[in-house]
Amino acid sequence: MQFRQVQVIAGRGSGAGKFAAALCSICIDRQDHLYAAGDSQVAVFDASGSLQKRWSLSQPASAIAVADDGSVYAGQSGQIEIFDNAGRLTNTWRDGEHLGEVTAIGLVRDAVLVADARDRCLRRYSKAGQLINNIGQDNRTNGFLIPNGTLDFSVDRHGMIHAANPGKHRVERYSCEGQLAGQFGHFDGRDPAGFPGCCNPTNITIGPLDRIYVTEKAGPRAKVLDSGGNLLAVIATDVFDPACKNMDIAVDSRGRVYVVDTVKLHILVFEAQAGAEAEA
Amino acid sequence: MSEPVSRRKALKRLARGAAVVGMGGTAGYLMQKAQGQIVWQIDSAKCLNSRLGEVGIKACDLCLKECVVSQSAVRAVNEFSKCGRCYICPAYYNVNSAVGRDGLPSEKLCPRDAIARKPIGEVDPSDPANNFYEYIIDESKCDGCGKCVMACKEPAGLGSIQLRVRHNLCVNCNSCAIAIACPKAALMQWEVPKALFKSGVSTPP
Repeated sequence: MQFRQVQVIAGRGSGAGKFAAALCSICIDRQDHLYAAGDSQVAVFDASGSLQKRWSLSQPASAIAVADDGSVYAGQSGQIEIFDNAGRLTNTWRDGEHLGEVTAIGLVRDAVLVADARDRCLRRYSKAGQLINNIGQDNRTNGFLIPNGTLDFSVDRHGMIHAANPGKHRVERYSCEGQLAGQFGHFDGRDPAGFPGCCNPTNITIGPLDRIYVTEKAGPRAKVLDSGGNLLAVIATDVFDPACKNMDIAVDSRGRVYVVDTVKLHILVFEAQAGAEAEA
Repeated sequence: MSEPVSRRKALKRLARGAAVVGMGGTAGYLMQKAQGQIVWQIDSAKCLNSRLGEVGIKACDLCLKECVVSQSAVRAVNEFSKCGRCYICPAYYNVNSAVGRDGLPSEKLCPRDAIARKPIGEVDPSDPANNFYEYIIDESKCDGCGKCVMACKEPAGLGSIQLRVRHNLCVNCNSCAIAIACPKAALMQWEVPKALFKSGVSTPP
């Protein structure tokens, strides 16, 4: 299974669809529109990479998620701003005690899951913004080990949370109630089947066929694993700036993989080469 | 009405007062002395081993090679407040070495074995990754080669380890051999408060 780079979206700059200082988080909606959050803005691109719309946020964004109804959740420091699909602000959740550094947001049927990198845990909120429970703190380290400063997770079609725990070199599976259901991964600095360095993987998403897509730092790399955590392919390595870290990753309905280069502030798009799906 | 003070209590108070005055005076004297002193120190924002953006290159060992003091007056220092206390520290382990039976890298990075690793609290033997670890540099072994500093730098680590001139070892040459050789002009002479700031120890003077 091999991937090739097919597109570059956004980039560093001050024009429309560009980011001046930071590009932190991406997600994809049901129509394969790409939502990118960075600086203090959300930019929306269509499947061809053309900018469709953009709007400003009250402060720099560190996470983005889009619901099936088109609502957009932008995670920031200490708050989440909620917009309708036209970019109109509809609500702001502030929960100073529990919303620290929001670095990922996931939407499940009846809840909003939030990664709080300050307290190194996931938080489950009701759709009305009421905290229900915390996830991932019931261990000897009182939370995920994230020396990289970002906590990322993704939810599969069965509602199971897959959270990257980079300091432990693994991916952990949790129920929404916070029960640890399993884990996979191990350290290896040579074999790409393992996670290298001090703390990897940093970012994670789940795509079609329950495949798990992750990114790593130092050196930057994107990989795809099967649902059991076995390596299927290295998507890309040397196309990223070597100083990249915490590269968010997303996958569209066609299996195209989007990866953020956090130094060049652009999004690289990869697709499996013809025949790769059959081969896999 | 105040209670009468016994002779013993009065003497104790007098002694305590004298000690406070003495300590204050000593601190003031040292501060005054240090304030005007010019010392060599490394600007961590310029040092090739710690400056951001310089990744994928070999560690610079000129502080080790050029210093006129044997074993160099430069040491690697771990700023604990910035350290991630990782299970696998890229400054302690050679993270590119083969994986050992214990699942950890089989080689250490420091050629002088100057870094000690110890768990914080009790380790769960069935899951040793589920813990924090402390990394302590033995300065009597360190020679300032800079390998751990380069390995700890972002994005691999958090940059908690940096090179610093140790003034109890530095002979304060007028023309420092390291400063002459340093390709980034990272070694400079500063007054003590600024030297502390430049090396990442304190806030701006």
